[in-house]
Amino acid sequence: MNFNSIKFQLQLYYGLLLFGVIAGLGAAMFQLASGRMYRQIDAELNQRIRVLAGALNGPPDDPARNPAAHLPPAPGNFHLPPRAETMFGSAANGFYYIITANDGREIARSSNAPTARPKPGAPGERLQEITTPTGERILAGRGIGPDLAELHLTLLQLAAVGAGVWMLGLGGGWILVSRTLRPIARISEAAVKISTGDLAQRINAAETKSELGQLAGVLNSMFARLEAAFAQQRRFSADAAHELRTPVSVLIAQTRAALRKRRSYEENLQTIEACHRAAQRMRKLIVSLLQLARLDAGQEKIRRADFDLALVVDECAELLEPLAAERGVKIILELAPVTISGDAAQIGQVITNLLANALQYNRAEGEVRVNLRAENNFAVLKVADTGQGIARADLPHIFDRFYRADESRSSGNAGLGLAISQAIVSLHGGSIAVSSEAGKGATFEVGLPLAGPRLHPDKASAADPTSGSIRRL
Amino acid sequence: MRLLIVEDEPDLLQSTCLVLREEGYAVDSARDGEAGLYYALNYDYDAIILDVMLPKVDGWKILDRLRREKSTPVLMLTARDQIGDRVRGLDTGADDYVVKPFDFEELSARLRAVIRRHAKQCSNVIQIRDVKIDTGKRLVLKQGKAVELTAREYALIEFLALHRGDVVTRGQLYEHLSDENEDSASNLFNVHVFNIRQKLGAEFIVTRRGHGYCIE
Repeated sequence: MNFNSIKFQLQLYYGLLLFGVIAGLGAAMFQLASGRMYRQIDAELNQRIRVLAGALNGPPDDPARNPAAHLPPAPGNFHLPPRAETMFGSAANGFYYIITANDGREIARSSNAPTARPKPGAPGERLQEITTPTGERILAGRGIGPDLAELHLTLLQLAAVGAGVWMLGLGGGWILVSRTLRPIARISEAAVKISTGDLAQRINAAETKSELGQLAGVLNSMFARLEAAFAQQRRFSADAAHELRTPVSVLIAQTRAALRKRRSYEENLQTIEACHRAAQRMRKLIVSLLQLARLDAGQEKIRRADFDLALVVDECAELLEPLAAERGVKIILELAPVTISGDAAQIGQVITNLLANALQYNRAEGEVRVNLRAENNFAVLKVADTGQGIARADLPHIFDRFYRADESRSSGNAGLGLAISQAIVSLHGGSIAVSSEAGKGATFEVGLPLAGPRLHPDKASAADPTSGSIRRL
Repeated sequence: MRLLIVEDEPDLLQSTCLVLREEGYAVDSARDGEAGLYYALNYDYDAIILDVMLPKVDGWKILDRLRREKSTPVLMLTARDQIGDRVRGLDTGADDYVVKPFDFEELSARLRAVIRRHAKQCSNVIQIRDVKIDTGKRLVLKQGKAVELTAREYALIEFLALHRGDVVTRGQLYEHLSDENEDSASNLFNVHVFNIRQKLGAEFIVTRRGHGYCIE
């Protein structure tokens, strides 16, 4: 028996409570019974005392009586009227009397009176005594031994019935508690099975009552979230491994081919260059994956500082000029100075990603329009390209990891850039969204909260890197 | 044997073509699905090595289109090795499925198997009277003794042997045994046939005047 179990504790407290109630009830009943008994006896004693007192004073019309010269009756001189005699005696429920004069001489007694005059408070006797104005003491009493015995019996009977009721109550309570708690045990069992086995299963909430049904519902939704999280993990790992296959294939194929027979210097050089390209791809992929993993785990440190976003955009655009020239695409900048708080390097990574994508998925003679301004306490950055746009089917997935609208890999893009950008932007308390019409290009919009006015104006321009881990968003 | 390889990763394509050419195949290559589909439909290949993830038209579509018209053996190359993808590939009509990264030994062996099966051969060894041709080892033995052959000569023998009983026209030989990288001077099949007859006997290859050659 588990002493900590709810069942046991419930039973214990309920048992004590029930015991208290039943005991209380029993005690009250007993009090009522015994009280009534004593009151009755006392009333009868009282009646008899009055009769005795009346008899002591003599009948009012007794010529022998001289009220003026009151003399105590002599022993043997005391007579009870016949009808009063029937009030005493063993035939009359054991009532007796003893009358003594004020000097202690006994004047009269009933036939069944005890030899020694009982003192008040004697056990087994119920007594009443009065003292007449002339000094006689009248004692009426009754042995209550049998009455007490009967009370005792009543008490025992009450106890027995009480105990029986108590046990019945305990038994009934046990059954009720068990039935109520059984669904909990069922839910707990199911939960254990699911969490150690198949996360796809759910607790059957239909067979539990309402409050427990809620509990089952909460557990089920938790399992659903766990399942989704694990699935995402698995997908991510699988995708990552998958992405590495191609550069590894290149390495294996190139080196194997080179080793099959003696090759010329030029051929070997080409092989080495091909291997190098593949290795670079793998390196980029690994760096991206690690960054994503850190962002996921909330371990990516942000070195916060206030900076002008326009300057960073300018810098990124300049770095990408060669690519723009190569693709024949023009970058148009419409920037307003806007101060935000964050990690300039990471935000720069996001901007470079967006710009590079815009250049990549563009047409010759096309343009990339970059617009930056402050709006409603946010810095709003828009990057619009004139490329082929993004199909509606792809739009909701575009920030997914490893998602590429064009499934082939020859562009060297692993599909992680936007996922990383989204994670960085979220970390900075911002948002990123895309809108596009197929054939008309795509526009990416990034919102980042403006730097607050909390810093002293002098300090605002100085870099104040405060590294620290970022709270999970 | 003439092969088509459709693969978008240039470094991988280059080394695979190199190795297969060195194994004696005539190899054509395409770097995107559109070109690959065009070649596959318009030329007769002995086998096609097809990557699944291709720009413009993906491997599944190429396979589907190809199978409506031709039964060319197709070996699918892919980085996806989930059961679902394998099943899909084989059900769509691929003859085999190779997962990247692959070893060239494995690719070669599977290629041979796929070609062999297409020619309804049971094993790598073809016995023609007293000549044994081992396509796996690329060896020819006459009466148990190895015969020295040039790569072109072997290719010709192998092709004719795999099409044993059929008359192979000069045009077919040209299509199947030379690729765009060769100059036509080395494609003088009558010269090769002459040399083979010298080594394996005059009745080894039969000339059907006006039609072509045949191994009976």
